[in-house]
Amino acid sequence: MFLSRIVLRDLDSIDSPASMASSKKLVTRDEWERKLRDVKIRKEDMNRLVMNFLVTEGFVDAADKFRIESGTQPDIDLATITDRMEVKRAVQSGNVQEAIEKINDLNPTILDTNPQLYFHLQQQKLIELIRAGKINEALEFAQEELAPRGEENQAFLEEIEKTVALLVFEDIKNCPYGELLDVSQRLKTASEVNAAILTSQSHEKDPKLPSLLKMLIWTQNQLDEKAAYPRINNFSTAALEDPAI
Amino acid sequence: MPATASGGARPEEAASPSVSSPSSYCMGTRPEELTARLAAAGRPPVGGCGGGGEEDGEHERVRTLREIKNQIIGNRTKKLQYLRLGAVPAVVAALAEPGVSPAALVQASAAAGSFACGVDDGVRAVLAAGAVGHLTRLLSHPDEKVVDASARALRMIYQSKLAPKFDVNNEKNMEFLLTLLNSENENVTELAANIISHSCDSNTEQLALCAAGVPQRLVNLFGGSMNLRDACLDSMTSIIRNNWEVTSRFALMDHGKALRSIVALIHDRSPRTRLLACLCLIALSHASPSHFQDRQIKTKLILVLLELIEEPGHVGDDAPLALTTLIKDSVELQKQALSTNAVQKLSNHLLANSLESRRAVTILLALAELCSKLEESRSQLMSVQASTLIIDALKHACADIRVAACSCLKNISRSSKVLSAGKLSCDTFIAPLVQLLYDSSTSVQVAALGAISNIAVNLTPRKSILLDSGAVSQLVHLSKSMDPTLRLKAVWALRNIMFLLNPKDKDFILKELTLSTLSSLICDSEHFVQEQTMALVHNLVDGYVDAVNYVIGEDGMILNAISRQLNSAPASGVCIQGMFVLANVAAGGESNKDAVMNILVARRADRIKPSFVVNFLQSKDKQLRVSTLWCILNLIYPKCEASSVRVARLQNAGVISQVKGMVNDPCLDCKLRVRMVLEHCLDNADDGFM
Repeated sequence: MFLSRIVLRDLDSIDSPASMASSKKLVTRDEWERKLRDVKIRKEDMNRLVMNFLVTEGFVDAADKFRIESGTQPDIDLATITDRMEVKRAVQSGNVQEAIEKINDLNPTILDTNPQLYFHLQQQKLIELIRAGKINEALEFAQEELAPRGEENQAFLEEIEKTVALLVFEDIKNCPYGELLDVSQRLKTASEVNAAILTSQSHEKDPKLPSLLKMLIWTQNQLDEKAAYPRINNFSTAALEDPAI
Repeated sequence: MPATASGGARPEEAASPSVSSPSSYCMGTRPEELTARLAAAGRPPVGGCGGGGEEDGEHERVRTLREIKNQIIGNRTKKLQYLRLGAVPAVVAALAEPGVSPAALVQASAAAGSFACGVDDGVRAVLAAGAVGHLTRLLSHPDEKVVDASARALRMIYQSKLAPKFDVNNEKNMEFLLTLLNSENENVTELAANIISHSCDSNTEQLALCAAGVPQRLVNLFGGSMNLRDACLDSMTSIIRNNWEVTSRFALMDHGKALRSIVALIHDRSPRTRLLACLCLIALSHASPSHFQDRQIKTKLILVLLELIEEPGHVGDDAPLALTTLIKDSVELQKQALSTNAVQKLSNHLLANSLESRRAVTILLALAELCSKLEESRSQLMSVQASTLIIDALKHACADIRVAACSCLKNISRSSKVLSAGKLSCDTFIAPLVQLLYDSSTSVQVAALGAISNIAVNLTPRKSILLDSGAVSQLVHLSKSMDPTLRLKAVWALRNIMFLLNPKDKDFILKELTLSTLSSLICDSEHFVQEQTMALVHNLVDGYVDAVNYVIGEDGMILNAISRQLNSAPASGVCIQGMFVLANVAAGGESNKDAVMNILVARRADRIKPSFVVNFLQSKDKQLRVSTLWCILNLIYPKCEASSVRVARLQNAGVISQVKGMVNDPCLDCKLRVRMVLEHCLDNADDGFM
């Protein structure tokens, strides 16, 4: 504790009188690359990161090919990925009832212990009925299936009201809650389903790679205050760019 | 069969469905039709059906069960509807029938499990139909899918408090549990862990599980999947909770390796695992503080729990509760929490997320705990914007939030600093608090009374705010409540308001309260109410000579009530306060002294029954001895003829000789009063009055 305090004080007194720009350390591209080369990252760890991404996102064919080529074992049975992807696809193509039944076959405890997910699936079902123009069916479904959920939960009630409001407008695509009919709404529900199934299979619901990228951005931002160095600005190429002096 | 379902209310029998066409193959999906079809499937086939017909029948049954399952999962309304139709016995019956296909078993197990989830009547129906026995038997079915389904269904059942306890003291049951724990199937091992969490709460059960090597096995299972590990952590907590012996054995297991494996899990990637590991360590440290002296771990626990508050869902909701349990009653840990900015972090979270849901309740309760002892916490909470948040919370629609806000204020107002600064004695706090005295929820009223009691203690110059707020009449109303806790807290609040109050306001309160209510409260059925009422009278007569008229006036109604209580020798707390009242009354003029004297030494019974005063002087409670000695002292002071007469009466009743025997009382205060009493006796005797 004391030690770090003293060190911080020292830094303060050095930094404050001098101008910030001149106090930044400059790291040249050669120096930087030499330092990067000194960091040893095991190939297996990289492969496991890739596998983790493929499995979590559900790219089952790619995962299988990658398993054969790299010898990396996935941390989950690949067959379960196929099931999960079928459920996800069903939601994405608007077959909500099919998705619900598949989830229940996979593990009947998921929807019973996750009221929010169950509600969002029911809501999606209503949206699909409205999209298909089945107004009577939609009204009946809203009354019989969704209304009781709204009584149990205030937040659900508000969402039901928004969804049912779609029925009032003639041009539903351009009405205030039109975004519920967007593909993005299906994707949102599908990714919620994906996460719940992964959790039920003891798997983390997010892949690790994106959080590593976030960490890289954070670290570069921290470093920017102290040094000028070859930065990665384009994350799809990961090319180092010369420091601006 | 190791586990058996206890009896329970049978669900309503099925009303015979009006629309039913069991022979038709058109698949109806109305609950009435499905229930009828399922019931029909259970009956033995009539006449000589061919094998093909049976297959069709079985196929039909699987479809029906699956349809029911898909309708009820997640859907409370549908569950209740099927329950009313009496579908549960038919579903469970499918589990027991000989020759049922694995596919039907899977669907029936899933449906039974779902009925037991989230609906109490569903649990009762499933238990009454004998599902636990059937499902337990299916755990050894050759088809792995059936095993998975029945293990999941049993897990749903054992999640409910209504499920019967699994008796691990029974040798066969314990053996069975161990086979489950050693299973290769993670669904089954997770079930075993859930059964332990559900059933293990007594000392002997904990010791039996420990002796059977269960803790070791659970630690080994930490290496399994995330869900299994969480279940194992939870059952570990239930095995060690409040059990010193099991905890000590566990702490030394494998040279502390087992313990270290749990400590490592507080840094796990999964937030739920982190929380469960924290809860387990908290249970460990409470059960056996000596094995858990590492202060660093406790600091880490505080930090981890404060971080977990940011997590969504149950984890974030429960983290503040875990923190509360951890720091409860420990000044040292509260100081540590404070030094990690706990008050700031908790109140920031509240400010950033508005007062929604359960988390607001648990955070407010954690803040209340932080303010229970530390002055610094209190002033932090009062200085940040959080204090406006507490006012909002007092007016919140959710009763639990109102209770939690009152707890915060109660603990903040333990500080004489805050009180004397007058921060709480303003309309912004008092008005909503007084409003809560009218709340429809008793627990809110009780919590508000707690806060008002504390605020009333030290607001001498500002008590008018409380008096003007209309609080007194509602407090008087609550003091007549049927609920003993409400009576207690209401009288307590009145007692504290009465403390050092000016005579005019004392008169006001007494007018509202009335002497008859006061005397019936003195004789309340609960001794803790009696004690507070005596203390209220004590504060009434304290420093206000004329108030004695309330006590001895009206035919001595109050004094008679006090006399009755002291003679029936109730709890010592009541006697102490009663003797202080008498001491205060006896400090007045001759008529007062005589009135008290007549209570202490009844005229007619002088020699027949020893005075209660003698008993009080022999009491182990030094406060009772002191208050009694003060009363005697006031009776025989100052020196005069009447005092000598009273000394003589006390002597005749054996009181003075009892005092003489107390010259070496271990309590210094008593010893001093004893000397004073004896000196006065001598003085009075010297003048030859005796």
